[in-house]
Amino acid sequence: MAEEEFTDINGNSISLDCQTHSAFCREFTVTSPKLSLRKVMVYTCFIWLFAYAIFFFTENTAVLSSAILLTLAGMMIHIHFVKVDHETLLIIGSLGVQLSSSYASGRESTTFIEMSKLKDIVINEAVYMHSIIYYLCILIKDPAEPETVTSVVPLFQSSKPRLNCLVQVYRSCQEILAQTR
Amino acid sequence: MMVENSPSPLPERAIYGFVLFLGSQFGFLLYVVWAFVPDDWLHSAGLTYWPQKYWALAAPIYLLVTLTTCFVLLFGVNMMNTAPLGSVDNITDRYARSQCTAEDQEGVIPRLRDVPISEINRLFYLDHHEP
Repeated sequence: MAEEEFTDINGNSISLDCQTHSAFCREFTVTSPKLSLRKVMVYTCFIWLFAYAIFFFTENTAVLSSAILLTLAGMMIHIHFVKVDHETLLIIGSLGVQLSSSYASGRESTTFIEMSKLKDIVINEAVYMHSIIYYLCILIKDPAEPETVTSVVPLFQSSKPRLNCLVQVYRSCQEILAQTR
Repeated sequence: MMVENSPSPLPERAIYGFVLFLGSQFGFLLYVVWAFVPDDWLHSAGLTYWPQKYWALAAPIYLLVTLTTCFVLLFGVNMMNTAPLGSVDNITDRYARSQCTAEDQEGVIPRLRDVPISEINRLFYLDHHEP
């Protein structure tokens, strides 16, 4: 049970929560900042003023109603599909790893990776847009071929924590993985 | 016997350069004459088969727009060619997979090789107690 001040790659503050359920089971939750009311109001005002400007010149009321519908639909799509509230990594030694993303509307998307397919959990650096970032990823192997990495699953993609947060999660995971090797 | 490729000046390169220089000057003079001289004068001189005058403006503008678009497209192509974060290309490639893993002899400079990422992570991020 530990909570400290961390930030993501853009400087927004996030929080990391580590829970130790037992000697071989740990859960890490990275929580992104909540949707800011100020941003929502600014976007809505911009779109509605723009729509009113178009209405002013064209005298067509459909522009106004479509702007309202567009803002409503856009907000619903955003909180249901785009805005991630928290991401969870649950590691159970000798069983596997569960990744879960919880969206702002309450929707949860979960995947499970069994231990025989998991080669390692590492911190890798890669080019992302205009910069190079550190990110935690799971190396997947085929149980028949233990030395080849067949695919890579990046973790905490929506919150993108910085290195200090990743190192803490990495050390904790390696303790569990070392027990089960 | 190996042919050395070097960027130094050679007599042939001087001749190519001069031919290109003369050709480009002549081409520019021709373009300016065609763009400014009225069609009647050109026809009266016997030169009738020229492209339309519209192209005197259109061709340079096409060229500049193409250059600007290529500049933007270059960024796009670069971003498309960058491997995504979930790609195996960020971890290893066929050369690293098929490299020789033989142990080095004693007292010899170690062979250049690609160290696996798990090992690198352990070196960097796990605390080691000095013996």
